[in-house]
Amino acid sequence: MADFDAIVVGSGMSGGMSAKELTERGLKVLVLERGPEIVPERDYTDQLAPWQSPNLDNVPQDEIRQHYPKQYGGVAYAIKESTKHFWVKDDEHPYEEADGTNYDWLRGYHTAGRSIMWSRQTYRMGPQDFTANKEEGVGVDWPVRYEEIVPWYEKVETFIGIAGSEEGLSQLPDSVFQPAFELTDAEKSFKQKIETTFNGRNVIPARIAHLTDATEEQRSLGRSNCQSRNRCHHGCTFKAYFSSLNATLPAAERTGNLTIIHNAIVKGLDYDPASNRVSGVQVIDAETNERRTYTSKVVFLNASAIASAIILLQSKSEAFPTGLANRSDQVGRNLMDHVSGAGVAGIMTGFDDKTVFGRRPSGGIYIPRYANVTENDKPYKRGFGFQGGARPLGNAGGQIAGIGRDFKEAHKRPGPWRFSVLAFGEQLPNPDNRVTLHASRRDRWGNPVPIFNVTYGENERIMQREAVKDAKAMMEAAGCINITSNDANLSKPGNRIHEMGSARMGRDPATSVLNGWCQAHDAPNLFITDGAFMTSSACQNPSLSYMAFSARAANYAADLIAEGAL
Amino acid sequence: MKTRREFLQGLIVSVGGATALSACSGAATIAATAPGQRGRFYTGNEMALVSRISDLIIPRTETPGALDANVPGYLDGLMTDWASDETRSNHREALQLIAARLDAASGDFLSANEDTSIRVLSELDSIAFSGGSGLGGYRSLKGYITQAYFATEEGAMEELKWVAVPGRWDPSVDITAGD
Repeated sequence: MADFDAIVVGSGMSGGMSAKELTERGLKVLVLERGPEIVPERDYTDQLAPWQSPNLDNVPQDEIRQHYPKQYGGVAYAIKESTKHFWVKDDEHPYEEADGTNYDWLRGYHTAGRSIMWSRQTYRMGPQDFTANKEEGVGVDWPVRYEEIVPWYEKVETFIGIAGSEEGLSQLPDSVFQPAFELTDAEKSFKQKIETTFNGRNVIPARIAHLTDATEEQRSLGRSNCQSRNRCHHGCTFKAYFSSLNATLPAAERTGNLTIIHNAIVKGLDYDPASNRVSGVQVIDAETNERRTYTSKVVFLNASAIASAIILLQSKSEAFPTGLANRSDQVGRNLMDHVSGAGVAGIMTGFDDKTVFGRRPSGGIYIPRYANVTENDKPYKRGFGFQGGARPLGNAGGQIAGIGRDFKEAHKRPGPWRFSVLAFGEQLPNPDNRVTLHASRRDRWGNPVPIFNVTYGENERIMQREAVKDAKAMMEAAGCINITSNDANLSKPGNRIHEMGSARMGRDPATSVLNGWCQAHDAPNLFITDGAFMTSSACQNPSLSYMAFSARAANYAADLIAEGAL
Repeated sequence: MKTRREFLQGLIVSVGGATALSACSGAATIAATAPGQRGRFYTGNEMALVSRISDLIIPRTETPGALDANVPGYLDGLMTDWASDETRSNHREALQLIAARLDAASGDFLSANEDTSIRVLSELDSIAFSGGSGLGGYRSLKGYITQAYFATEEGAMEELKWVAVPGRWDPSVDITAGD
């Protein structure tokens, strides 16, 4: 008899949703989290005033050099003295990069994973994203279509809460929304000028997973509306933004069906060839090194796209000499992220008598993908969305001329309005972009160190080059001055923290790892619903899709268990 | 009477239904300093220079100034607890360069009268912010002073009127409606 009905590996964005749906179906669920427990009352630091953090809240420079060179290099904006406990120490969790390549693997190992530190932009994929591979002969075809996912998007959106506006765009379908954060006057001006100058381009409020009109269900979980503090990277005492710690894990907990074990590093999965099932989950206690094995009817891997692939690669057996569920040889391959680099900024004049009240927590404007949607003259495949916004530049930092009273009081004035946009582009799947395991180097728990070999291709380079041109043209059309841009200096792979594709779904077991239900072709009680399943990356921020597919797969697995099929 | 921090915590609890706020562990400890007094990092001369420049850049007005907020002590802590050896060395060299230039313009900057002090520092500042070379260290010092001031309770609350819990987002506020 199995210890649990289901084991979910990972408590982050997708693991929380898997656990919620499985427990709400009445299944006994064990969640294994490799890091320590986060207790909001103890570990959230959003209540600290500026003067309550030493040294401008900066992490000491020597400590960064020793412990956070990769993490800080990737997201310096988010790693502060008061938030560093949400990020892994690179020296404790090492990885390697193939010669001539770079990879940013930016992580948080603790309850709720990176759902605590994400930037909360939340978009559906569109119908075109599920058919592009097939139409273009790229990678493999998605085994599902947009319409099949719509009910699951709706279910997840209603639960998590998304502030946004209904726009009726086919390529970026509307979600179930709570009221959007209204655009600033400069952003409204930009929107009006862009939409009249460029037929088919839209400027809409960013869609973010913040409560602005909390539902009864959300309030029952202790969540309340966003207070516009913009302290989100510190956790949120109001539970106003979605994280699995703020929403899905408490929902799972209250069913009485959830067990969560922390400091539980999954070393590998046992496979029983007689039943063709995963038969056990091998765990190492991160603190004591004690080893044990848990059993369940089904296993959900939600460890993150890279870590889930690593777990499969580590799970070698006679039946699977190159790693569990890897008969297709696609585990660890096709690793994708979103590509940035096209960043352009300028000053919007005419708004010097305006300021704002409150600190908008994320986003501003979003320019949905138009390339190869409404404009079909592009020298590249797919497209990108622009994130950005206008805000008073302020004078913080002291980097303006003058001393004395005038200088001091200048900091109370908003300063000029700066408009900036940054492209987030689709990366095409490429089987040569992969993570593998080091032949001999081990981490402190004896697990192989991963090696990344990921580079961007010509399509990504051309796309970002063209995105810079587009952004400049829009800035000019909007009347911006002092326009500055970086000439498409591409973000490092991994730096957008949207890893995906490393155990893709597809129709053919010979060329894909998972079927259309996120279920392993090679082991029917194994499901992977983190970013690993993504057959292509689209250009939208992916967390919502991970959660929709997680909810769908969890209910499918629950159906199979109820039928006695698993 | 409640302290400001207790008041803010009470507000958070009343609005958000939070249970405990143990993360508010109190302000960072910054050693009080006086011009000319040796700090943990600064020599007596360096402390005197940083104090004088801080006071001139952010003077006491209707609200506290940089000295009221102990910005020199903040910077002394920053150099001691945050900075790497390289940053410390660069900062120390910058102070020597700044002192030399201010002394050359005023005779002896630290004993110069108010008008002279303001004039020579304004001139240096003007050069530094109009592309003058070799003054990156001054811009860096000014950045430290300004950021430290606005990170203190005096600078954030009394000068900037920082609001812990805005509670709403208003994207369009007329500046003439008040600060």
